[in-house]
Amino acid sequence: MASTVEGYLAELRQALAGQDPALVHDALYDAEDFLRSAVAEKGDTPESVAAAIDAYGSPEEIAAAYREAEASAAIVLRPPKRPAAATWYGRFFGVVGDSSAWGALFYMLLALATGTVYFSVVVAGLSTVLGTMVLIVGIPLALLFIAAVRAISLAEGRLVEGLLGVRMPRRPRSVGQTGTIWERVKGWFTDYRTWTTMLYMVLQLVLGIGYFTIVVTGLALTVTLFAAPIVQVLSDTTIIRSAEYGYYIYPWAMPLVMFAGVLALFATLWVAKGIGYLHGQYAKAMLIGTFERSAS
Amino acid sequence: MDAADEAMLRKLQKELNAGTVALVLLAILDRSAEPLYGYQIAKRIEGAWQEGVPVKQGTLYPVLRSMEDNGLLWSRVEPSVAGPPRKYYQITDRGRVVLGSWRAAWARTRDFVDATLEGNVG
Repeated sequence: MASTVEGYLAELRQALAGQDPALVHDALYDAEDFLRSAVAEKGDTPESVAAAIDAYGSPEEIAAAYREAEASAAIVLRPPKRPAAATWYGRFFGVVGDSSAWGALFYMLLALATGTVYFSVVVAGLSTVLGTMVLIVGIPLALLFIAAVRAISLAEGRLVEGLLGVRMPRRPRSVGQTGTIWERVKGWFTDYRTWTTMLYMVLQLVLGIGYFTIVVTGLALTVTLFAAPIVQVLSDTTIIRSAEYGYYIYPWAMPLVMFAGVLALFATLWVAKGIGYLHGQYAKAMLIGTFERSAS
Repeated sequence: MDAADEAMLRKLQKELNAGTVALVLLAILDRSAEPLYGYQIAKRIEGAWQEGVPVKQGTLYPVLRSMEDNGLLWSRVEPSVAGPPRKYYQITDRGRVVLGSWRAAWARTRDFVDATLEGNVG
């Protein structure tokens, strides 16, 4: 059992791990309200804090109460989940109605742009900061740079939640982060997430190039296979050419080639869905950290 | 009473609380002249029990929130010196109507349970 308000809040946060961030926020807010009110009334002694925590309830108990309240409200609020198709081809083609696949596809295209920006920010920022470290201006520049990294981390989190459907925090406020501005700044540097975020931003360019290539290749293949027979009929020339040889698509093969194009679209969507899932987990690990630091 | 009996007693108490906590909170807010915040409500409940409050006070807050979502309570936030801004709860007209029907349901349940315990049923 925790012996301080901050420690209790950290335990409660841990007990609520994996819940909707908004719910976690509410629960921490309520607990802090109660405990600080109790401390204000009875004095800030270890005994009064322990008594208040005991009266409030164990983190597990409180987490369970919020989960139950959320579950009963969520039944009303959340749209029903689409039932999974019974047949394998139903499942395979059902991906076209899956918003997470389309979101991931869009995210993969966007990753080239965001990756370029993130990479430039980190490389330019880091080299400027390191270059000016010996000068007095190096310190404000370093703070500015870290602040920018944290802001981008939050923005990327919103993007990941919106497009990949992975829950990301709306505010990366860490429990127990109180004290003077200098203590908070120190917290930025000792927070391992600042550094994993920077690594994430650098790697995003590499991943972005890969993702973009995969999507563009998949979509190009789709369009080509689907359009080739049509263009061949309309233009009366061979479409598939290699050196001086032209390969003619026989009429009987035309529906098959077009069907292969359709398959390529669905395959691309499945690949996007898979990559989207993996990237979401990776972003969660890099940007929020999979384990919570215990409050000191 | 051995440990298993005690565990069953705790389970019963927990289930009784789950069924009555919303009614109790609504009644407290109905009686109160001014809006109350979570800690004050918890204090009143603690004061009303003779020995050892059987309900963990942290479990009151989610109930308050869900009653607010259902329109039985109304809240406003005011800054506080002690900690985060405080959420003051007040009963709504709809809350009073609902409380009236809950009160009747509680009276029926209580009378029925009492009658059973006294051997007047069955």
